[in-house]
Amino acid sequence: MRDVYVIGAGQTPFGAFPGRSYRDLFAEAFSAARDSVDGDVPTGDIDEAVVGTLGVGGRQLGLPGPAVTEHVGLHNVPCTRIENACAAGGYAVRQAVQAIRSGMADVVLAGGFDVMTDMSGDVTKYWLGVSGETEWERLTGTTFSGVYAQMASAYLEAYDATPEDFGRVAVKNHANGAKNPKAHLGFECSLEDAVSAPEVAEPLNLYHCCPTSDGAAAALLVSEDVVDAYTDERIRVAGVGAASERVGLAQRDSYTAISASQVAAKAAYEAAGVTPADLDFAEVHDCFAIAELVAYEDLGFCEPGEAARLLREGYTDPDGELPVNTSGGLKSKGHPIGATGIGQVAEAFDQLTGDAGERQLEAPRYGLTHNVGGSGGASVVHVFEREEVGA
Amino acid sequence: MTGIAGVGAYAPAGRLPAEAVTAARGQFAASGIEQTAVPDADEDTLTMAYEAATRALDAAACDPSAVDGLFVGTTNPPYEEEAVAPRLVSTLGLSADVTTRQLEGSTRAGVDALVDAREAAEAGGRALVVASDAPRGPPDDPVEHAGGAGAAALVLDPDAPGEVGEPVEHVSPYPGTRFRPAGAAETTGLGVTEYDREAFRETVAAAAAALATDLGDADALALQSPDGGLPYRAAGALGVDTAAIQAGTTVHDLGDTGAASPLLGLASALAGDHESVPVIGYGSGGGATALVVDGSAVPVEIDLDGVETLDYAGYLRRRGEVTTGEPEGGGAYVSVPNWRRTIPQRHRLVAGRCRECGTLAFPPGGACTDCGTLDAYDDVALPGSGVVEATTVIGQGGAPPEFVEQQARGGSYVSAIVALDGPEGGSVSTPVQVLREGEESVAVGDRVEATIRRIYTQEGVARYGVKMRLAVA
Repeated sequence: MRDVYVIGAGQTPFGAFPGRSYRDLFAEAFSAARDSVDGDVPTGDIDEAVVGTLGVGGRQLGLPGPAVTEHVGLHNVPCTRIENACAAGGYAVRQAVQAIRSGMADVVLAGGFDVMTDMSGDVTKYWLGVSGETEWERLTGTTFSGVYAQMASAYLEAYDATPEDFGRVAVKNHANGAKNPKAHLGFECSLEDAVSAPEVAEPLNLYHCCPTSDGAAAALLVSEDVVDAYTDERIRVAGVGAASERVGLAQRDSYTAISASQVAAKAAYEAAGVTPADLDFAEVHDCFAIAELVAYEDLGFCEPGEAARLLREGYTDPDGELPVNTSGGLKSKGHPIGATGIGQVAEAFDQLTGDAGERQLEAPRYGLTHNVGGSGGASVVHVFEREEVGA
Repeated sequence: MTGIAGVGAYAPAGRLPAEAVTAARGQFAASGIEQTAVPDADEDTLTMAYEAATRALDAAACDPSAVDGLFVGTTNPPYEEEAVAPRLVSTLGLSADVTTRQLEGSTRAGVDALVDAREAAEAGGRALVVASDAPRGPPDDPVEHAGGAGAAALVLDPDAPGEVGEPVEHVSPYPGTRFRPAGAAETTGLGVTEYDREAFRETVAAAAAALATDLGDADALALQSPDGGLPYRAAGALGVDTAAIQAGTTVHDLGDTGAASPLLGLASALAGDHESVPVIGYGSGGGATALVVDGSAVPVEIDLDGVETLDYAGYLRRRGEVTTGEPEGGGAYVSVPNWRRTIPQRHRLVAGRCRECGTLAFPPGGACTDCGTLDAYDDVALPGSGVVEATTVIGQGGAPPEFVEQQARGGSYVSAIVALDGPEGGSVSTPVQVLREGEESVAVGDRVEATIRRIYTQEGVARYGVKMRLAVA
């Protein structure tokens, strides 16, 4: 199979931009991705496009993909829309990798967007709940905060963790996001702030929940056959893994782990020939604080029940053994559904190419991105490797 | 001869004290009432009927499928047109060929339902009679101030102990005493005090006089109680002691329970070890029905205790008077035909057992979560008990649009995952709301048991289904 390289990735700032259109945001992300490539990527070189979006707001439920790719001039380029809730972006990247590996394309644009802040709170909550299992789970009156809160209740019961540990996720990710000019909530918070915030769904409070954001992100992926034409960087897609899980939490074997993430991670590690110990950083799906704890365990950073200890010991701080969510994560950087998974790739690309500014880690080689849809109904994991040029 | 296999009674846990109304409105227009029972945000006369009927069936140790007739009396059905029986039959698990009758139009409807049920039982059948009501009136109307809520049910059986005696009836036109025009939501009366008293006194006395029994011998009389004063004013005309009236009414603690009033009084008297209890229903427009119930050795299961005291603002919220209804934004759409497909699960927790490996599935359908076999399930009815596996409290702002009104009326609610007990061991998990009364909280590991409440309303159609409450330790 042909190797696939990321030659560029970028994003709009994530935030509240009710005056901007989804096309306009997508165009900015596309330009940011193209500008991040060493050389030029003429529009005509792009063979294929994959666009991830949930379609929040219902503004373009049908054909949202062509609506944005035609807008940026990818005229007559085949475009497929990917919908896998909050994992739409990550799955769009995976789809781009598949297109290149299959030989059908050499240069693929993977993009994603959603606009979430130009609606009333009630309309927003409707959309936040649409990826929960509708007939049974949603009809107990939950949106995702409620479902993740149920996971949190089971986690607190099963393991030696406290709501203060959820607060530690917020403190860490806000500290990281404060250094990210693209972050939606780019300010620091104290543990006191994070544990005393208003309750959203017991045991989760406001600081245990990511914001709803507007934004777009894009990545350009190419085959090994053409990578030389665009860049001297070698950011290789070393491993990809993805899996589904039953959509309703109650149907699952565990409420304290997401099996789709476990399976996806295992596949991505095997493909990349690495173990979690080889990773230099990870961008994980922290839509709720409990999700980051569960991610540490699903991704093999620690044993089940050990995630709180990692946080307390600073293992995942920027100066720790395995920095997690240097971008600020969904919590601080923001979560414009379809853009999120590709925004993670943009952070990985910046870290691996040394363009992460104040957040830059020291010469990382392996980085992981982890993107989850719904409460775990879909998960996708990528491992990226910075290859030494000439190696 | 018609005996009584079991009696059940239920009232919502919320109470509005008369003083709270006086404090808020400057007056309390109903006499002799200390507090009224207030239905929860997801309760109505159908769910209260379910509560009372399940208690009666339980007291009677009666298999629901053995019931031949269901007789429901209420003046406030959830829908003016659309019978409550089909959904009540389904939730209770009665058989589909059961005779069903719904009596309305007068607070007499509860006792009239008992009369019709007796007739069915005399013909050899087993009859379930349920009276359920929650009267409402305009804000300053005595009907509103008196208005409470509750339900009572009896399982009649030719072979059971006790006896439901021969009924007598009397009508006399007294228009304007209590009425609700077509299309109106609130019941009122002209409030002609002496006229109202005369209507009540003459009508119930005429029916009582036709009874073969001398009421003077009764130490408890289950007399229609539109408020806490009127029944006592008829004591002289009926030749009964006021203590007997007090022993057979729940009006002081539950308020006016409309069509359920006499049967709630009966259930309460039987629970208080009274045996021979005359029952007199009186209603709207001028009419009374009377009979004598001998409740010797009849098992009774009642749950009439108030657990939560509301202030007037809380009462208005719970009743939906000061809430805005479902906001714009759309709800999770489940079409009515699609909902109907899941009614065995929503109403009776019918699970599936995999024919290959025996694993339980709820709802049954799709691939077995254990062995993967596709769509091969045998129906199994779950007993309705379970244990909380995961839980959260959805507070203000956390509810999706279709649950905003429930949250606004009933306050924060518990959404949980419950492992439902299998009929012979094992379990299967489902998301479900867990009800709380008063200061109760819900934690992982708590035992819960099923009841029926309104889940939500979409396209004007209320959807009823299972919710859980904490199991009695």
